[in-house]
Order: sequence, then structure tokens, then C-alpha cells
Amino acid sequence: MLNYNQSIQIMKKYSYIIFAVLLCWTSACKKLDTPPPSIVKDADIFSNSAGIQAYMARMYAELPIEDFRYSPTRGLNFFWIISPFSCISGEGLSRDQNSATQETFGYWGDAYTLIRDANYFAETLPKYSSNFTPAQISAWLGEARFLRAATYFALVKRYGGVPIVDKVLNYPAQSIDELKIPRSSEEKVYDFISTDLDYAYANLGESNQVGRANKYVAAGFKSRAMLYAGSIAKYNNITLTDASGNRLCGIPAAKAVTYFKAAYDAAVLLDGKYSLYKKAWAAGDKTAQYQNYVNLFFDATSPENVFVRQYHYPESVHGYDAYNVPRQLMGANGYSSEINPTLNFVEMFDGIPKNADGTIKTTTGGKYDLYTNAMDLFANAEPRLRATVILPGDVFKGVSIEIRRGIYTGSSTGGISPLLPAGSTAHYPTDHMVQSSNASQTPYTLPNGTTMNPAGLSGYFTGDGTCSVSGFSIRKNLVPDKPTSEVLENRSDQTWIELRYAEVLLNRAEAAIELNALGQNDKSYLQDAFTAINQIRDRAGANLLLSPTDLSNINVVRTERKKELGFENKTWWDLRRWRVIDKEQNSTIYRTLMPFYSANDGKYFFDARLDERNSRYTFDVRWYYEQIPQGEIQKSQNLIQNPGY
Amino acid sequence: MKTIFYSIALSALVAAGSSCKKVDNYAAPDVTLKGVVTDAGTGKSVQTEQGSGTRIKLLEISWSSNPTPFYISSFQDGTYNNTKLFAGKNVISAEGPFVPLVQVDNTGKTIVDKSQTVDVKGVTTVNFSVDPFLRIDWVGDPVVNADGTITTSFKITRGTSDPNFQQDVSDLAVFVNSNKYVGNNNYDNRYTPKLSGSDASTSVGKTLSVTTIGGPLPGKREYFIRVGARISYGLNYYNYTDVKTVTVP
Repeated sequence: MLNYNQSIQIMKKYSYIIFAVLLCWTSACKKLDTPPPSIVKDADIFSNSAGIQAYMARMYAELPIEDFRYSPTRGLNFFWIISPFSCISGEGLSRDQNSATQETFGYWGDAYTLIRDANYFAETLPKYSSNFTPAQISAWLGEARFLRAATYFALVKRYGGVPIVDKVLNYPAQSIDELKIPRSSEEKVYDFISTDLDYAYANLGESNQVGRANKYVAAGFKSRAMLYAGSIAKYNNITLTDASGNRLCGIPAAKAVTYFKAAYDAAVLLDGKYSLYKKAWAAGDKTAQYQNYVNLFFDATSPENVFVRQYHYPESVHGYDAYNVPRQLMGANGYSSEINPTLNFVEMFDGIPKNADGTIKTTTGGKYDLYTNAMDLFANAEPRLRATVILPGDVFKGVSIEIRRGIYTGSSTGGISPLLPAGSTAHYPTDHMVQSSNASQTPYTLPNGTTMNPAGLSGYFTGDGTCSVSGFSIRKNLVPDKPTSEVLENRSDQTWIELRYAEVLLNRAEAAIELNALGQNDKSYLQDAFTAINQIRDRAGANLLLSPTDLSNINVVRTERKKELGFENKTWWDLRRWRVIDKEQNSTIYRTLMPFYSANDGKYFFDARLDERNSRYTFDVRWYYEQIPQGEIQKSQNLIQNPGY
Repeated sequence: MKTIFYSIALSALVAAGSSCKKVDNYAAPDVTLKGVVTDAGTGKSVQTEQGSGTRIKLLEISWSSNPTPFYISSFQDGTYNNTKLFAGKNVISAEGPFVPLVQVDNTGKTIVDKSQTVDVKGVTTVNFSVDPFLRIDWVGDPVVNADGTITTSFKITRGTSDPNFQQDVSDLAVFVNSNKYVGNNNYDNRYTPKLSGSDASTSVGKTLSVTTIGGPLPGKREYFIRVGARISYGLNYYNYTDVKTVTVP
């Protein structure tokens, strides 16, 4: 141990040393204000085109596109999509999405981050203009406006009027109260989007990198946004007005013509610049038309692709194939058949036997019709249907997709009567019936001595939902030649086509028909819509419209849109803007088609029925305007909540 | 050195321990607010559906002039009751299938304001007297027919003379369910008949008889029946009759 005095001595010595070190250290630091070399600065980004490209890439990655990585309950840019969007709109049924829902993730904060990025870009780029040509500058400024408009459209279609932020906000330079920007009217937000897209159209070039906007992408988006605005003006009857008279929800009906005209005019701008994909198409050849429609989603050089989002394994991926392949082609992750098209969807198409009320015809004189092969029922089906939906017994990846509910073993003398009364939601009676509860099946010996599994390899299984629950499986967007070893989560990288020319034609046709209905006759609108829809039907291999008067009912163009854009994450928004989804989904059970094999006949019959799982869909009227996230209102109390929340 | 260290540690502990005198003992919410929304014309409560029907809107102005609203859903018979509120000064109004108590014109000016400013404490009762969009009255009791269906007779009249709230009736239904919670949010669509289009829009003022759909109802049980109708206004709330029980033998 040291004594007290020794300790003091040592401490004094240390004090001198520390003092000396401090003195040297502070005097050495002359330049304190140097930028940290590890942080990317404006000058690094904005002084060269590679920096601009990197900035753009991030904005496009954040762009709110409802693609392969989106579901209404999980959000955008999410990898695990097992509750598919198409299974809340009546297009499909899923074992993991059994009722109606609205979006539950509250898209708000991410939108304003992206809007800030776009505003920051537009304000900062001109400071570095000496590094670029004026043409480059104006194209990029147009691109930033396009991105901002697309983001505002994602907001307005969800919430109605939202706060318009058209410049970079600064805190603490601006006070908190100044930054609590109130909502603008729904009309003003649509007008803001329209102005931005006009600017983008005027400034963007004729072409751009794949996945980025050119001027026609801006015009295409405008036709979509203006069509939404027109529909709200015409069909919405919800009102919310703030204390200054801004109509936050709803657009005056008088504006409908203006918006439909804007939609029509914007769609016409793409005329001759893009065209429907018909590379493998041949007139009168259903097989070629089917193959053409399948190819359209995978041809990178398709003249129909207006705006796409690309993926690339391994750095940017999704799992669409893994989640949605038919059960018998399931990959190693154990997912399959999440999307199963409803019979309601299938019945919209041409080329299948139908009853007078438009439903599929499966009986004659109260007895089931019998078919040698399951596909015989669909022998003349519209090629577009086959390319969208895997029908029972159709071929996918070189194998026949086997979908069978069970084997009927009862007597077939005099025909087979319906197994259940019409409209029943009960399970099938189990006498004279063999069925299977899951994929490990016990083969049944048929009267001719051969054996057959009770259920098909892809279902229907009574005990688990890992099968085709509707009698159909999805085909659209599934890679037709992906080996099963690669059918894995985060292993798919096909391109998402966000806007294709077919939609632009449908926007144009719908706007034209609405204008005609509103008494506008400055152009021959109905004739124009007739031409556009027949172009689409011709490519699809569907029956053509005979004359423009066939379009007098607005449901003709709407049904065409549902068929053409089915399973492309557009239909739910359409049903919502038409304000019809609360009627369509009112304690609704969707229909399914169950194929059976009759052991004594050696033939198939089909039973059209309500979903055996009894999944009921009811759309709450409040959902026409989403709830603004409560947390956002707490941050900015000037935000007025939408009605009913 | 050791002693110094221990004494510092000990005094820190004592200081930390003795400073925690105050526990968060604000009393739990125990104030009751209850009441009923009644039809100004008939004095009867306005029937609604639970969850997506009538709700009471509370704006607590004790602390802020721009508070976030707090809502209480009413029961389907039009009464409401919340026993776990904090005392405070509230501006209270109701939203539901009746002429709005607070109306703003298209310039944002408040033209009607029938909300009540109330000091909510102890057990407070706040009632509202409103004009429902539609009144639906039973005409006799529902009848079980020989073929096992049920026929219901009723009459729909306007509950308000204000033409702004006299839009056409867009939907009309005799809701059937197997428990007493019955309405547009909870019904059996196998048996529930629904009218829309011109069948619905011409229904006002007439006595209608509507029979259940879907063939005979399975017997030896009770059914709960309620007539609902709505106009195309705002959130398209339904007006209802009260619930009647029908026993199918």
C-alpha cells in the first residue's frame, strides 16, 4: 500500500500529463468543420448522372405499386404474400383470406417520405445544373414530378383529400404549427396530380430506361387517375367538408365531365406509341391466341408494356410462383395454391356452356352433364380465360393439373341428380362418395379394376386448404417453365407490369362511354369505345361486340376490364371507385366449381355451388375512404378523420 | 478506499430508494355516460345495428379546443352506456341513421349544431332527439306460412320533411337470423329477401308484404326478424324496426 503522501505525488504527476495531452490535442484541431467522409453529400449525388440514377432507383423502389410484394393486410414491399389482394375482390378465393377487408397497414408516412424525396430532388438539382445538359435537367425534373404524382394518386385513392406538400419542409426553420398542414379537398388533390403529370408529359423524353417513366407513362397514369376522379364525381355520395369549405371526401358531380374528358384525352396520347401484344397471335387459332396471352406477361420486348417494375434474382426478388403454383407442383417451402379463381370470375368469359342467367351450365333436365375428360367442359373456352386460369385438367408446366372433389360411387341409371339443393352451403353428403382429407390419399378401385385417388393431385381436400379450394388455380403471371426446384420463396424475379396498353385502351373506352352517358357528343365516343374494346376482345379470342349500341350498359366495359385486368391487383380499386363493391359484397359467398368422377359412368360431372368453406364477404361502406392512421392525427391535429372511424 | 466506495454506494442506494415516494395513483376511470337516441316524432328509440350503426361522439374540451374525438357505439335498440370514462367537459353529439345533428354547408360553415356541451361526472345521462331518415313500422306480426316460409308486413314512411334527406330508398330487406343480433351486418342470406332498384325506391308510404326466400325454413327453432331500409346518403346507414321472434314449428 502507498501512504497518503505518495498517492498525492502520483496524482500530481498524472495531472500534468493529462493537462499536457489536452493542450496539444485541442490546439491540433484547427479545422473542425469538415464534412465526414463516410456520408454521401448532395454534391456526390447531384454532380454526375450515376448519382442521379442511384437517387431515382431508390425513389422507384419506394413507389407505391401494388405488385407481387403487396397485400392489403401486410403492405407494400413485403415478401410474405399469402393473403392475396385478388382474394378480397371476388376474383379469387384463398385459404388465408376468408373475408372482406380493407387495407390495414395505413399507407401515409412512407408516402410523405417519398414526396419529400421528390421535392428535395426538384429543388436541389437546379443548383448543379452546370454539370448537365438542359434536356437532361428538364427530363429529370419531369420524372420527379411523375413520381410525386403517382404517390399522391396512391394517397387520394385511399383517403380522399390529403395535405398537399409541394416543397421541402424544414424544421426548425418552420414552426411545428406551420407544418401541421391540413387536408386539401379531394378535387384539389386530383387537380394537383393532373398538373404534375402534364408537367411530366411536357418535360420527359420519348423513352427512358426500362422501369422508369417516359412521357407516355405520365400520360397513361393520368388517364388512370382522371378516370378515378371522374368516377368519384359521378358515383360517390359520401361528403366530408372542413370548416373552410374544402370538400375532403367527394367531388362535385358537375366535375365528372371534366375528369372523364381529361382521362380520355390522356389515353389518346398513347395512340400509335404502344400496341397490344400479338407476337404469337394468329386469327382463328385458339391455341396460338392462348399462347400469345401467356407470353405477354413474360416478353421483355412487349410493345404493350408501358410501365413495369423489374425484379432480378438474387438481389431483388419475390415469391409469387412459390405461393401460387398448383398443389401438385408445390416447391420445397411447402406453399401452394394461395390464389384460386372463383367461378364468378370464370363465368364472365366466353366459350363455356351457360344457362339463361349467365351462370355455367352443368346439368340438363335436372341431371348432371357427363364429360369424358374434365377439360371437355372448357373445350371452346375463350383463350384469355385459359391463359388467366388453370382449368381442371388443363396442362401447366407439361403436366395435367388434376382437380377433383371426389369420386361418386352411386348408381348412374337415369342420370345423376344434383348432390345438393341450389344455393346450399352444406358439405356434400358422404354416402356414395369417396373423398380425401389431405394429399396422402388411399386409392379407390374403380369398377373396371383400375385405381384412382379420390381427390385430384391439386385437390380438393376436405381437411386442409393447401389445394385448389375453388376448382380452379391461377395461371396469370406464373412462370410457365420454372423448374420445381426453383419454386421457392424469394426465388421469383418475373417483371411486374404495372401499366399495360390494354388498360390504357380500357381507360379510354370507359371514359368515352361515361362521356356519352353524360350527353357529350363532341366526338363519336361510343364508336371509339367500340373500336377499343373490340381490339382487346380480338386479341383475347373472345366474341366481338356487334355494334356500338352493345355498349349502352356501362357494365359491358366494366366486365371487360375485370376480365382483362383480373389478378393484376386493379379490380378491387375499380369496384371501389364505381361504388358498387358494398352491394357486390353484402354477406356474399362466392361460387366454386367442383369436378366429380362418376365411378359407374367412368366420366366427369361438375357441380357449381357456393364456396363450401362458407367464407362470407361484406364490404363496409366506410371503407370507401380509408381511416387516416390515428398516429398521424396525433402528430398533426389539423388532420380531420374520415367519416365513420 | 474500500470504506469510501461502500459508503458512496450505500448513500446512492438510500437516495434512490427514498426518492420514490410518489406512485402513479390517478384514479381509474369510473364515470358513467348513458342515454338513448329517440325519434322526435314518435318518442321511441331509433333502432340501429351494433358496431356500424349509431354512435355517440365525444369531444373533450377540458384540455384542448381541438380534441381527437372519442366514440361510443350504441346498442342495436338505440341506447348506449359507457361506465369507464374520465370526468370532464364534453361536446356530445350522435351519428347514425338520422338527420345529422351537426351540419356544415359546402363553404364549411356550420349551419346546424344540436350537439350538447355537458360536464360528464358521476352518472350522467345525455339523450338525443332526432329525425330518422325512415320510419319502419310493423303491420301485424310476421306469419309462418303453410309452406314453411315467413311473410312479414310493414310500412315505410319518411322520418324527416327536409328534402335534403329524402333521397330514394336504395335497399330494403327483411333480415332473418338465428340470434337476436340481426341486421345488415349479421344475417342469414339464404333466407333474407332483399329489394332494391325501383322495388325499393317506390316503397315509401305503402304497406308491403315480403316473404322469405330459399324455400321452407328449417323447423323446430326460433328466427329473429327485423326489417331494414336505407337511403343513399353518406355512409348509407340502415333504419330498422325492432326485432321480432318467430317460432317455426
